Amino acid sequence: MKLATIGVGNAGSKIIDRMLEFEQETGRNLCRHVLVINSARTDLAKPDYVPEDRRVLIGDTHQKAKGHGVGGDVEVGAEVAKHDIDEIRRAFDDIDIHEVDAILVGAGLGGGTGSGAGPVVIDELQKMYDEPVYGLGILPGEYEGGRPALNAARSLQSFVQKVDNFVAFDNDAWRSRGQTIEEGYEQMNRELAIRLVTLLAAGEIDETEVAENAMDSSDIMRTLDTGGVSSIGYASTTVRTEGGGLLDRFRDEGEALDESTDAAKIKGLVRRAVNSRLTIPCTVSSADRALIILSGPSELISRKGIESARQWLETEADTVDILAGDDPRPNSPELAAVVLLSNVTETPRVDEIQNQAVDAQDKIAELEAVREEEINDLITDDDDELDPVV
Amino acid sequence: MKLALIGVGRGGSRVVDRLVDRESATGRTLCDGNALVFDTTETTLEALEFVPEERRSVFGDIHPNVGDDGLEGDPDLGAEVAREDVEEIRRAFDDLAFTDVDAALVVAGLGGGTGGGAGAIVLEELQTMLEKPVYAVGLLPTDDESDRRIHTAMRSLQSFVTIADNVVCFDNESWRSTVTYDEHAATESADDQDGDDTAVDDDRDEDDTSDPYDEIDDAAARHVHSLFGANELESTTLAENRIDASDIARTLETGGVSTIGQATLELERTDGPLPWLPRPSWLPDALARRLQGEIENNQTDAAAIKRLVRSAVESRLTLPCDVASTHRALVVLSGPPAAVSRKGFESARYWLEQETDTVEILAGDEPLTRSSTITATVLLSNVTTVPRIDDLQARAVAAEREREGDDAGTAATPADAGTNEEFIW
Ligand SMILES: Nc1nc2c(ncn2[C@@H]2O[C@H](COP(=O)(O)OP(=O)(O)OP(=O)(O)O)[C@@H](O)[C@H]2O)c(=O)[nH]1
Ligand SMILES: Nc1nc2c(ncn2[C@@H]2O[C@H](COP(=O)(O)OP(=O)(O)OP(=O)(O)O)[C@@H](O)[C@H]2O)c(=O)[nH]1
Ligand SMILES: [Mg+2]
Ligand SMILES: [Mg+2]
Repeated sequence: MKLATIGVGNAGSKIIDRMLEFEQETGRNLCRHVLVINSARTDLAKPDYVPEDRRVLIGDTHQKAKGHGVGGDVEVGAEVAKHDIDEIRRAFDDIDIHEVDAILVGAGLGGGTGSGAGPVVIDELQKMYDEPVYGLGILPGEYEGGRPALNAARSLQSFVQKVDNFVAFDNDAWRSRGQTIEEGYEQMNRELAIRLVTLLAAGEIDETEVAENAMDSSDIMRTLDTGGVSSIGYASTTVRTEGGGLLDRFRDEGEALDESTDAAKIKGLVRRAVNSRLTIPCTVSSADRALIILSGPSELISRKGIESARQWLETEADTVDILAGDDPRPNSPELAAVVLLSNVTETPRVDEIQNQAVDAQDKIAELEAVREEEINDLITDDDDELDPVV
Repeated sequence: MKLALIGVGRGGSRVVDRLVDRESATGRTLCDGNALVFDTTETTLEALEFVPEERRSVFGDIHPNVGDDGLEGDPDLGAEVAREDVEEIRRAFDDLAFTDVDAALVVAGLGGGTGGGAGAIVLEELQTMLEKPVYAVGLLPTDDESDRRIHTAMRSLQSFVTIADNVVCFDNESWRSTVTYDEHAATESADDQDGDDTAVDDDRDEDDTSDPYDEIDDAAARHVHSLFGANELESTTLAENRIDASDIARTLETGGVSTIGQATLELERTDGPLPWLPRPSWLPDALARRLQGEIENNQTDAAAIKRLVRSAVESRLTLPCDVASTHRALVVLSGPPAAVSRKGFESARYWLEQETDTVEILAGDEPLTRSSTITATVLLSNVTTVPRIDDLQARAVAAEREREGDDAGTAATPADAGTNEEFIW
């Protein structure tokens, strides 16, 4: 797929940057256009792979932002994007839409910029282009607290309504012990980028020899056609020695080019992808459609294996709407299976966030209702005998 | 957050002076030269060290009721002279580059005629002039100050909270016990010298200009600077979750009275032979760590970070309060990012949410790569249960009733009540 990629807010921009990094490392050619949009000047300095002129600062004239972010306030995030919509539109003008199949907008939903400005950006893109606009949303962890949960629950609604499909990533499922702030989200951002790029770049390779079973962008788009929330599974195995020869481990010693063994391994890899940590944990059987892509040296990708993996997933995901194929990467040191579960409707984490959000909303309303009165009670004496100075 | 710093009255000016000092000593930008101090007496301004002379402004001094000691705690007179001299005050504002700052911060002793009374007028002026937030730091009087000053403080607190976008309070009473200044000797010597309030400690030189408030002012400046100066260091390391000016502004948006807490953790370094030399870029990480020692960094860090934030909240706050009455809060962790556990950071934030009983919590870090400490600074915004303020109010009400009684009998004007006025330390 040829993609225009847009990161909104801090998290959104960091993910896009990691996608560009992975794409470059593996010689893929996915993101034909890239843009990051933020209300915080310092965050815009972070990306390593996004060209300087593809970074847009919004809200620098807005009283509550002024280049310093929006303080986690979704309303302000949306406001500054609307206010600077002309500037955003101008940045889109550079996108030669004939060169891209789809647009991906990534954002962290717990803050103010990604969650507030993201939907505004998507609205604009949907107005301007006929191509599908996909969303990538990062859900805040429980420990981030009530406000991020509320931002995310509200923003999730806007995202899912406005985009053609929404790939979710659950920070809670991916958090691990012992990480420092410095390492921060590095590792999980990288994992997410690998999944997205492996999935979406399938078929995007300058190969003269076209594998008959190769997946292309139309297969991916068809799977994403469902709308709703989607999840990605991934598993990989090293198939090449340092010297570049294919590893014996994938073809066990003494084993001839035995199709049945290769097939079992492909199926095993796909199973592992589905049973692994998904970008958002979900009930696999609630998926509406699915897509399986095997990415790696074609001689290792057994057609029989793909077919039996597909059959296995049919039962597992309880749908017959499953496409499966390969993405030949002759020089890849790895063989990877990536599985897209499209429109999964049972995602416990989304329910949790919604519950946390409802509680947060109640608490915010409660405090807001008594705020003025409590301040007044504090600064005045009970019988109001003291007068202010002015 | 970049601020226009404005000190009003003696206490306010002295704290601003400390802030300017601290800014240059730490390299963390706060006002970047946009500082200004006002008083009704020249002598207090002359005693300042760090605010440039051309930024010190005396007003009201030619008013017939203004004596050499200022307004002696009369806030109505303070408001009156500030209104009369408002042009002068505006002219002084012309020296500040308001376009370069994110907000204005007025510091004042609320018990002062100048700080509390003129301070309120200064706040009003700034509010009509600026579209940016105007915050205040209000210094609350100690228990041994006169009824007059306490009465003034409780009246000006009302005006400050009404006019300013938020008032961070600093309670002198709560902090006086931290001061090593010899209180007893000072009081005695004050008695000896017939109530001279510039009491000199017996142990000090005759010309020692140190002041009992010096240490308190340092504490006030440290808290205010850590909060507003967060991430204002020119640093190459970018924070993962940066606390930005908008985050501070959003937290303070509630209005009301706020308080700051702080705690610091010394990091243990396993001692390498060359711990503090800058690392040459060609030196591989592992080797550098071996040579320079590694910041203790293991699983226990998560608990340590949570404890640190907890002790910041449970520390001596600038204003003691019921933490559960907080409406919004913000926490900044300043230190080497490699030593701050993300899990600790998250559980600290979660703990703060439970403790303050509000979901409006913003948390972020300030990477100080070469620091050997981690500091947690917590802002509790709009705390609404504050026993200290209730106590001061009760005393102010009693004073008000007494004054009304007096007024009924004699024709004493409030300004006459000023014999035992200045603080007895
Ligand atoms: N996976 C991942 N999540 C992140 C990262 N940074 C932030 N987040 C998440 O994204 C949410 C939003 O944070 P930011 O992206 O920093 O916020 P923003 O959209 O820039 O909005 P403001 O900072 O409020 O202006 C947070 O609540 C986190 O859950 C990251 O690097 N990786
Ligand atoms: N922290 C601190 N508080 C002070 C200091 N000086 C005075 N205060 C407090 O501020 C209050 C007002 O005192 P001043 O600042 O001296 O008064 P002023 O604003 O100059 O007003 P007048 O002297 O009445 O004109 C006092 O009641 C003290 O509580 C100081 O140096 N540091
Ligand atoms: Mg941000
Ligand atoms: Mg004075």
